[in-house]
Amino acid sequence: MLKTIACFKWVIDEADIKVDAATRKLILDRVGYKINSYDRNAIEEAVRLQEQHGGAVAALTLTQPTAKACLKDALSRGPDSVYFVNDSAFTGLAPLQTATLLAAAIKTGIEYDLIICGEGSSDLYSQQVGPALAEILEIPCITYVNKLSYSDGQIVADRKLDDGIETVSVKLPALVIILPDINSPRIPTLKQVLGAAKKPVHNLAIDALGPVCQPCLQTNEILAATMDRKRVKFAADAEGIRSAVGALLRDGVIS
Amino acid sequence: MAGIWVFAEDLEQTRELLGAGTELAGKLGTKLAAFAGDGELARQYIVFGADEVFLLPPLAQDQPLEAYVPVLFEAARQEDPDVFLFAATPRCKEIAARLSVKLNTGLCSGCTGIELGGGEQLLGMERMAYGGAAIQRVQCTMRPQMATVPPRTFEPSVAQEGRQGKITELKTSPHSEVKVIGRSPRQRGSVNLAEAKIIVCVGRGVGKPEDIQLARDLAEVLGGEVGCSRPVAEELNWLPEELYLGISGKKVKPELYIGLGVSGQIQHVTGIRDSKVIFAVNQDENAPIFEAADYGIVGDLYQVVPKLIEELKSALKG
Repeated sequence: MLKTIACFKWVIDEADIKVDAATRKLILDRVGYKINSYDRNAIEEAVRLQEQHGGAVAALTLTQPTAKACLKDALSRGPDSVYFVNDSAFTGLAPLQTATLLAAAIKTGIEYDLIICGEGSSDLYSQQVGPALAEILEIPCITYVNKLSYSDGQIVADRKLDDGIETVSVKLPALVIILPDINSPRIPTLKQVLGAAKKPVHNLAIDALGPVCQPCLQTNEILAATMDRKRVKFAADAEGIRSAVGALLRDGVIS
Repeated sequence: MAGIWVFAEDLEQTRELLGAGTELAGKLGTKLAAFAGDGELARQYIVFGADEVFLLPPLAQDQPLEAYVPVLFEAARQEDPDVFLFAATPRCKEIAARLSVKLNTGLCSGCTGIELGGGEQLLGMERMAYGGAAIQRVQCTMRPQMATVPPRTFEPSVAQEGRQGKITELKTSPHSEVKVIGRSPRQRGSVNLAEAKIIVCVGRGVGKPEDIQLARDLAEVLGGEVGCSRPVAEELNWLPEELYLGISGKKVKPELYIGLGVSGQIQHVTGIRDSKVIFAVNQDENAPIFEAADYGIVGDLYQVVPKLIEELKSALKG
């Protein structure tokens, strides 16, 4: 019986971010939220392993109490239950704070053999929480995995690295961080969406976890990146294309 | 000794970190140290600017590079470095993240700029957020101040022949519960997009794999190379993965980037933002690539590109 935790983050949809042109500040008050796309792969992989080997899949997220929409979204993708670790203090956390709180949540008694995390989060993309969580839980981790199999209490994984593929094995319990090319997350069916409402949601509050530790990494500001571009459009006809080529010649980038 | 420490997987990456570290060590009035797998590399690192090189114990055949986590932890615990920089390779990113837990310190992932602020010897570090749409400025409040640094962020240090330094052997045993049971080296293609002056990039707007020929034809007229967006390599598998541009792929700085059917997701734009000129052809006039482009043509690339090739041929004939 393979018990898997799939971690996910409820993130701002970056397509909704607007910028205040004068101050370069990000305007976030009207943004939508979504399950971090890399974590959809993590949930899918956990569900795929369950289909092959049985067992149970729990989804786990750490977020604001207002993020309830994430619960049905996650559950409709296949997990049996979700752990909703929420507090209004859980905002702007540094990666190590998040990992520490997730570890504390897991230690309250979430059973697991395997923890799966996605490649990173699409908002801040620090790629630290997965390995840090493993380190705090004192279990081995395997990063950058694009192929994963399980048998006899052991994981075999292909890691996609700069210089090639490294195939590794590890005994469970362990944490695996997967790349998006490992699978294609299925779109939830209507039955799954309706069924999600009936699945258990476990609320975990901050008093069960202990205090939030001080951040070791402090964010001083987040400002929009500026890029000065000419943004000149040319028509798609012969004359427009000739003008475009003329512009490239004047800029001296073709010769 | 305290100081600036750098850890990377090869000479090229180490030189870039030594380049950044030399400046920091000068300003902070401290020493610069690197890690090497053998004595020959250690001597080279000294020539390239390291004051001290820590010689790593050899790894067993079945040990991944991450087995050095306990070795680095022990060294850092004893010597208390001020700053610890890592190349942002997959392996080093894992090592740095785990080490930051063991040392209970902060880590700036994907650090693209470092400046020394105030008199507190604290580094102001910059990184990309929201797929590159924003810049996050962070500060590490504990020691050592840690960062992973993407390739080609800093200029590599230059050799100073005859430079002297100290080589110290590390005695801690490497350890990993994760065992390597196989390795298959990547087949390196001949294309080096990082050096290319002109890149023609294929996006999802290109309908069929055969149509990539259109991009190749355009690249050939211009003497450029063909790259692609992440889904073209990873989801469609039409081009090798080493050709995809973006925040998680190749970051390029060509004179001219031409996007064909590239929608311009921010993650992709971040990989091409240092291009001198960005030119986009896309059917969808609302595609975000036009916001990031100097020149744009809204149109069907199957109509536009052949005409563009003809026009370029006659313009470049002389």
